[in-house]
Amino acid sequence: MDLDFSPEQVQFREEVRTWLTEHVPREQRPEEPAGMREFDLGWQRTQWEGGWAGIAWPEQYGGRGLTLVQQLIWYEEYARTGLPGIDANFVGLSHAGPTLMTRATEEQKAFHLPRILRGDVVWCQGFSEPGAGSDLAALSTRAVIDGDELVVTGQKIWTSFANIADHQELLVRTTRGDSKHHGITWVICDMNSPGIDVRPIETIEGGAEFCEVFYDEVRIPLENVVGGVDDGWRVAMSTLSFERGTAFTANQVRLADTVEKLIDTAREHPGPDGRRPAIEDDEIARRLATARAEVAALRAMTYAGVCRNLRTDTPGPEGSMLKLYYAEVAKEVGRLAMDVIGPDALRLVSRWAPGGGWTGNYFYSFSQSIGGGTSEIQRNIIGDRVLGLPR
Amino acid sequence: MDLLPSRDQLELTAAAAEFFSEQVPIAGIRARRDEPASLDTKTWLAGAELGLLGLSAPEEVGGSGLGLDDEALVFREIGRALAPGPFLGTVLGARLAVLAGRPDLAASMVDGRTAVALAELRDGSVGPEGLGGRLDVLDPEGSTYVLVLGEDGAALVETAALGDLEPLAGIDPGTRLASATVGAASAACWLPADQEPLRLRALVLASAMLVGIAEAVRDQASDHAKNRVQFGRPIGVNQAIKHRCADMAVAAEAALSQTMFGAVALQSGRADREFQVLAARIVSSRAALDGASANIQIHGGMGYTYEHDAHLYLKRAQVLDHLFLQRTDALGGLLAQAAAQ
Repeated sequence: MDLDFSPEQVQFREEVRTWLTEHVPREQRPEEPAGMREFDLGWQRTQWEGGWAGIAWPEQYGGRGLTLVQQLIWYEEYARTGLPGIDANFVGLSHAGPTLMTRATEEQKAFHLPRILRGDVVWCQGFSEPGAGSDLAALSTRAVIDGDELVVTGQKIWTSFANIADHQELLVRTTRGDSKHHGITWVICDMNSPGIDVRPIETIEGGAEFCEVFYDEVRIPLENVVGGVDDGWRVAMSTLSFERGTAFTANQVRLADTVEKLIDTAREHPGPDGRRPAIEDDEIARRLATARAEVAALRAMTYAGVCRNLRTDTPGPEGSMLKLYYAEVAKEVGRLAMDVIGPDALRLVSRWAPGGGWTGNYFYSFSQSIGGGTSEIQRNIIGDRVLGLPR
Repeated sequence: MDLLPSRDQLELTAAAAEFFSEQVPIAGIRARRDEPASLDTKTWLAGAELGLLGLSAPEEVGGSGLGLDDEALVFREIGRALAPGPFLGTVLGARLAVLAGRPDLAASMVDGRTAVALAELRDGSVGPEGLGGRLDVLDPEGSTYVLVLGEDGAALVETAALGDLEPLAGIDPGTRLASATVGAASAACWLPADQEPLRLRALVLASAMLVGIAEAVRDQASDHAKNRVQFGRPIGVNQAIKHRCADMAVAAEAALSQTMFGAVALQSGRADREFQVLAARIVSSRAALDGASANIQIHGGMGYTYEHDAHLYLKRAQVLDHLFLQRTDALGGLLAQAAAQ
């Protein structure tokens, strides 16, 4: 075992660091949808022009063709800049893109993948429905084949960035049979199609990207189906294992920097007694130290996960362990920050504010154990698929 | 960068695991409950013969010259098997003897002739001249030396120089406990902390044993959850049980990853080695203690009996959690470090 990066990887890190220092956006990300879209896509375009988009994506789709180790190095250096996540580009880069790579036709890949990397388009995910959350296969948004089109009617919910998205990875029910896992189809939906109605949903954090989407006889060409009509469950599962396996690497890496920032805050900010710095309070100090130990372990698990992926290629159920551990630690860090800042906890400061807002981050942390499969569902997966417990 | 065991390491740990499961079954802890030594001499020597005491020792003293990562992986198996006996003290003692320029002494530890017990200084002090004060000694029976870790370094002191040892009732049936009050005892070997941070090495190996315990209780609880039938179904179908097992699995995985990270960080002399080792101790202690507690609960009434193994995991975890560094000091020490590299 070793923690050494090769000379090429060390040089890669140097290049990333230099480039990021010169190119990270300095202005605050706009909070209204159109400005947010322009900001996120502009930043992605800058990365693409600099040659940093799709580090671990194959060259034939516009990527750099490097390994997950370089991708990890990028995330580590990116986290050090203090910038929040890839956000509106998340679904395209970490979800839809990897799914298209494994399941789509060459035509579909050639059309969509470079557009994602170039920052031309925003993708969103149409999976959850009001009646199908954790029980995703219970989804009932209907699609009927009419000639060479699917005609979709129904509703999706918890769709981040649907209000600014160009495309959606959409799961629809094409056949209603005995098995709820059969008869689902994974299809690329053009979000500008007639019959789509996007309505924003306000979150506890106050963000402007959460939405629900209504479909009223929306016509989607059959050629947009990925992986075959009625076979979408398998396609979706590959997406979810990507999400749990590697897509959260950036968040995991960033959490370590958040904890360091919180420790710095605790050294300066008055603690519960209003006089001494928060870090001199024993309980806060022990929780900060515990958080430090846990984010260290999260990083070690992430490294081990990257090594496992290099050996086996496809993420397995271990990804659920990472996702669960990350979510629980992220929530504790969010809550701990509220104690560190004391009476300032009454003031709402967006996590996009310069320097980062602890109160906004606290409310945002609740999404981490819900989105991408709740922590309870991750525990089921670990129990069933890692430990082999009876269902 | 590679944090997963190599093929050689998997073979090494499989051989160690096989030795412990065949030669040192957990039931032996109960069987030897009233014996002076927690492990019989024949098995101890067989373990030495297998090379378990010299994994990281140089070949000149009969060791295998392997790394701390290899040694930690084997100590994980010792923890998993709840193997009793002075493995930890003797392996650390051999390291001390090598670095203090006593290869002869190290060689006799590596081949099992000289056992080293761990001693925890309760009050008093230890330095190059020796030690004075009150000590708790773990598994002193048959030992020639005790290993004492102090602020400034580590010492080997002859067990005979401690005078009369007073046996105490210990919490762990697999760990004998005695106390000693020493006016002045000279050190046979002294290793300054600035030459080698032996305490960090001790913490890595203790963390590895805690990882083994965390994994063992995860597996024992999961097996019970699959086989124990109540209300006509295995209890593992219930999320109240299943989710606790999942939490044990995640904690064990986190502890394993961080312990190996800490082992490699210490071995390669990374600037943040103390940070990484303290973090390993904190997460592995918690994984073992929480897991062992949950395992007792999942086993219900059976888990509360002496005859079952569940309490043995908890008790060993408590012993290891209190060795070398108390938790509040580990947390304080970690917070005092600069950020991780």
